[in-house]
Order: sequence, then C-alpha cells, then structure tokens
Amino acid sequence: MTVLRIGHINLRVLDMAAAVKHYCDVVGLIQTHQDESGNIYLKGWDEWDKYSVILSESDSAGMNHIAYKVESDADLDLYHKSIKEYGISVEMVPAGTLACTGRALRFNLPSGHEMYLYAEKEFVGTAVGSINPDPWPDGLIGAGAHWLDHALLMCEFDPEKQINKVTESTDFMIKVLNFYLVEKIMVGPEGAFQLATWLSCSNTPHDIAFVGGPVMGFHHAAFFLDSWEDVLKAADVMSKNKVKIDVTPQRHGVTRGYTIYFFDPSGNRNETFGGLGYLAQRDRPVTVWTEDELGASIFYHTRELVESFTTVYT
Amino acid sequence: MKIEQTLKNHNITILDTNEIFKCSENDHLLVGMRSLGKKGIPSGCHGGGCGVCKVKIHSDKNNYKTLSMSRAHISKEDEDNGVFLACRVFPLGDIELNVIGKIKRKCINGSKNFVFNY
Repeated sequence: MTVLRIGHINLRVLDMAAAVKHYCDVVGLIQTHQDESGNIYLKGWDEWDKYSVILSESDSAGMNHIAYKVESDADLDLYHKSIKEYGISVEMVPAGTLACTGRALRFNLPSGHEMYLYAEKEFVGTAVGSINPDPWPDGLIGAGAHWLDHALLMCEFDPEKQINKVTESTDFMIKVLNFYLVEKIMVGPEGAFQLATWLSCSNTPHDIAFVGGPVMGFHHAAFFLDSWEDVLKAADVMSKNKVKIDVTPQRHGVTRGYTIYFFDPSGNRNETFGGLGYLAQRDRPVTVWTEDELGASIFYHTRELVESFTTVYT
Repeated sequence: MKIEQTLKNHNITILDTNEIFKCSENDHLLVGMRSLGKKGIPSGCHGGGCGVCKVKIHSDKNNYKTLSMSRAHISKEDEDNGVFLACRVFPLGDIELNVIGKIKRKCINGSKNFVFNY
C-alpha cells in the first residue's frame, strides 16, 4: 500500500487562453488533452502519464483538487477503509470521473482541500521515450519544466482559537497515507505550534507541504528543473514574457531547493523547483526550523520573510 | 527604428497618500506604480486572483477598462460601485482612487508571547 507521487493538480483560471499560453510558453508544459467541458490537460516532457495539470476556466482563481497516484488498484480499497476509519468521509468514484484515469477515491483533507487517489492513468510516455533515450528532447519551450514536483497548501492557523489545520492535515498524511515528515517550522512559546510541514512519500524532500495562514487556500504548484542554470534561464523567460515574479531566483533553506516564485495570469502562484535538495529517507532526522530563523528557512539568502509569502495566495 | 510614442500616459492619484504616478494605457495600475518604485496600493499576484490590491475608483467609467478578476474578491455590486482589483485596471484617462485592500496581517493577533506575525 504505497502512494507513489503527486499525480496532478486542477487549477482554476480566469482566462483559459492566457493560462494555456503561460503553462505552455513559459513553464514549458505540453497540452495533451481537452475534454468536453473545455478543461485543458498538460504534462511536462519528462512525465509519462497523460497529464499532471488540469486547467479549468472559472470566475475565481485557486485549486479545485490535488491528486496522488498509488501503486496498485487494490491499494484503493485499502485506503478507502483506512481513510474512513480515520473519520474522514470518502467516496470511490468510477473510472473516467477524472479524465483518462481509473477509479479514484475522493475526500477532503482536514484542512478542507479536495484530494483524489488513483492507481491508473493513460500512459503516453516521456518525450524521449524509454528505449535508448536522449537526456532531453529537442524543441523545449520556455523553462522546459520536467514535471510537476509538489504543491504547497495553505491551511487555517490560529493558535488563539486553537485552530491548527497544518497539524491536522499533517497527521492524516502520516497516519493514513504513510507520508513521512521531512522538515517543519515551529513557532510560538517554546516552539509549541507547528506552522509549516514538508512531507514526502518518495525520496524527494517534499511531495506536499502545508503552511498556516488566516484562511485555507492554494499557495503554489512547483515544476522541476535540473540545475541552477535552468532556474536562471527560467527567470529570463519570465521577464521576456512579462510574467509577475514574486521572488527572484534564490535558495530555500527548507529543502535546499533553487526557487523562483511567480504567478500565472490568474494569480495562482507557481514555482520552479531546481535541484534535488537531498535524498529524503524515512529514517533521516526531521529538520526543524525555529521562529527566530523563519526568514532564512524560506529565503536562505536574504534571511527575510517576504510579506507576500504568507499573505498572497488564491 | 522608430520608437512608438503614441501610447498615452495618465495620472493616477492615490487619495489616501496623495501619491501620483503615471501609467500607460498598456499597463495595469500596479505595473505603472511599481515600475517607477512608487508605493501605496498593496501588490500581490498581478493576475486578479489574490485580492490584496482592492481599490475604489472615483473617476468616470470611461477613464479605465478592466479585465476579468476573481469573484471571490470582487462582486458584481463592487464593480457597479467602482471597486476593482488594481492589477486588472488599465487607464484610459486620469484616475483618482482610494485603497481598500490590506495585506492580511497578524494572523496571531495580540499574543504577547509571540514575536511571530504575518
């Protein structure tokens, strides 16, 4: 019973044409499908399943749902039982509910975010194939992102009212979905409150992250790049396209990633996540960041928290 | 090469601070404000999604045009009252406005033991 990785994310966009242009020409994803309702499906060149991003036109921005792929179809029955036993209402939806995807479990995290688990999605292969492949394909556009790497979800956090959905969602991910804690930020008297967590189900420093804020929402979806050089080029691509950059290339203290925060044309934050950080392992000691070094945990060079990091999200 | 000079600049006045900046018809108000280092309106996602740059425009509706913005932050009634997200407003004439949007601060209000706030 194993969760393999983040499978896809479904984002709401205000202007579909502008969104497709951004995700294809700037991020470098490839459109693979469009359904009858007009939703557009995209993937990175290095991904082998049909899609990792779904764009849905709407009158508000944000995230509709996030989905994780599990190892086998039988796992879905086991997770169905364990999610229910944890006390969260869960529904098995038939194949095709999610486009090109087998049956899936639908439920909401304690923070309220809608999540799916699925085991099968149409295979299309990477852009270089699997037989004697070249290291990268010709014709990459924009940043040429490899794959959807992770997402960060904002969870309601108000210790005075004893609300901490970061802790609740983290507990669920660990106890039920068998993720493990990799890094965390502790704040308050004697570091009593868990403000943020980074969790993995694989060997990357995070497959999902939770940060506390005034209301729940979507903070960012990150796309993988190989190197610092790729991150610099991605930032050039963004400026050429007049993309709103939130934070220029910098290193995260947490996860050691090389980052750029930027916004899609509907205001949904994206990230380029460069480098693998380190090999995450279940027995690796959890990295703890304290409140006095909060700035450095997110923005390692400036060591200052950018106000928009915790206040601007969709 | 001839440099195009046909684009008009308009005066944008933030009544709260008496700050005035020039903004071209091709740029939304936050680009006009930020490109010359001016401040006054909170600057967020620049895509009409996050809602921090809410303003009340007092000038005539013919003095600006808007792009679509999130209904989670701007209702139809807001629009009828001249309330918009500054990052979706493009000037066609001079504009006077008040700032409504505030960065949500201090999630943990009043906790004396906390040095942490937003």
